[in-house]
Amino acid sequence: MRSYVLPPARLSRRAMLLGCLAAAPLTFAGCGRTRKDEPLVADLSIESDGDFLAFRPDELTCPSGALVTLTFHHRGKYLSARHNWVLVYPGQLEAVDKAVEHNEGIIAGDDRRVIAWTPMCDKGGMVMTRFTAPAGGDYPFFCSTPGHGECMQGVLHVTA
Amino acid sequence: MNGIHRKGLAALAVLGFILPLAAQASAQQLKAPDDIKMTLRLLVQVSNDFKRQITNKNFARVPHEFMEYTEAADAVRSAMKGESADLKAKVETRLKGAVASYQKVSDMSATAKETDVDKLMAEHAKAVTAMNAVFDLFPAALRPDPNLPPPGRGGRRGAGAGA
Repeated sequence: MRSYVLPPARLSRRAMLLGCLAAAPLTFAGCGRTRKDEPLVADLSIESDGDFLAFRPDELTCPSGALVTLTFHHRGKYLSARHNWVLVYPGQLEAVDKAVEHNEGIIAGDDRRVIAWTPMCDKGGMVMTRFTAPAGGDYPFFCSTPGHGECMQGVLHVTA
Repeated sequence: MNGIHRKGLAALAVLGFILPLAAQASAQQLKAPDDIKMTLRLLVQVSNDFKRQITNKNFARVPHEFMEYTEAADAVRSAMKGESADLKAKVETRLKGAVASYQKVSDMSATAKETDVDKLMAEHAKAVTAMNAVFDLFPAALRPDPNLPPPGRGGRRGAGAGA
């Protein structure tokens, strides 16, 4: 095994100053590139208000374009009601809620009114979904278990 | 005349001061007033779910609501564990009556037709009366207000979201 010891460099003050000036733009350019390449991420957490038909909190915020990981925790203890979290485009909540009413609230994978949704969750359980945050605006979310959407809803504020 | 009025007003003021204190004191005598209050609210929530399924003509879903009603009733029993035997017995009798009333609504829904909404709602109103009889056994401070909107965004469908 060989080791190398580099001789101490002897640089004049002028050379050092020029070197620093040359390196500065590269440093800033590097910073800029790193920020641009790194995707925005947002971890959101939401839960049911115990066994009651309400989300806690009922307002969430994330930046547009962020890769969102949302975790829903069913905090119920007594009732066997199942819950989920469904994010829809503005003005679509009632229509989607009505569409799944006679289907145990199961969301169809090809429903274009729906942005994201978690599977149904039993009491005490936790479910997760990942999605890219849409354009800036306010997007309603709700629980699609039949009869729950009327009470159990909230708003995702997406900042531009 | 003025003297009588003054005395009457004074008596009312005293009553107005004492009655809330008395209600609070009787609520405090219970071992788990917060748990009892919460579980009584669950009964109201499930009762309202019954109503929603009936008005939406989603009759097939009503038996599921009945199952939840029995779970809410069990939650009340569980919250009552540490209370006096006398109160527990009274609550149990009325609770059984309420559960039986909701079961009747559930059984009727199993064979209900589109046109049976009014009939089911009438039966549901009877069940609500039976449930209120349970609430009457508790101090006013613990009784749920059936007109109170649920927590969160209840009653404000799509508020602020253009829905």
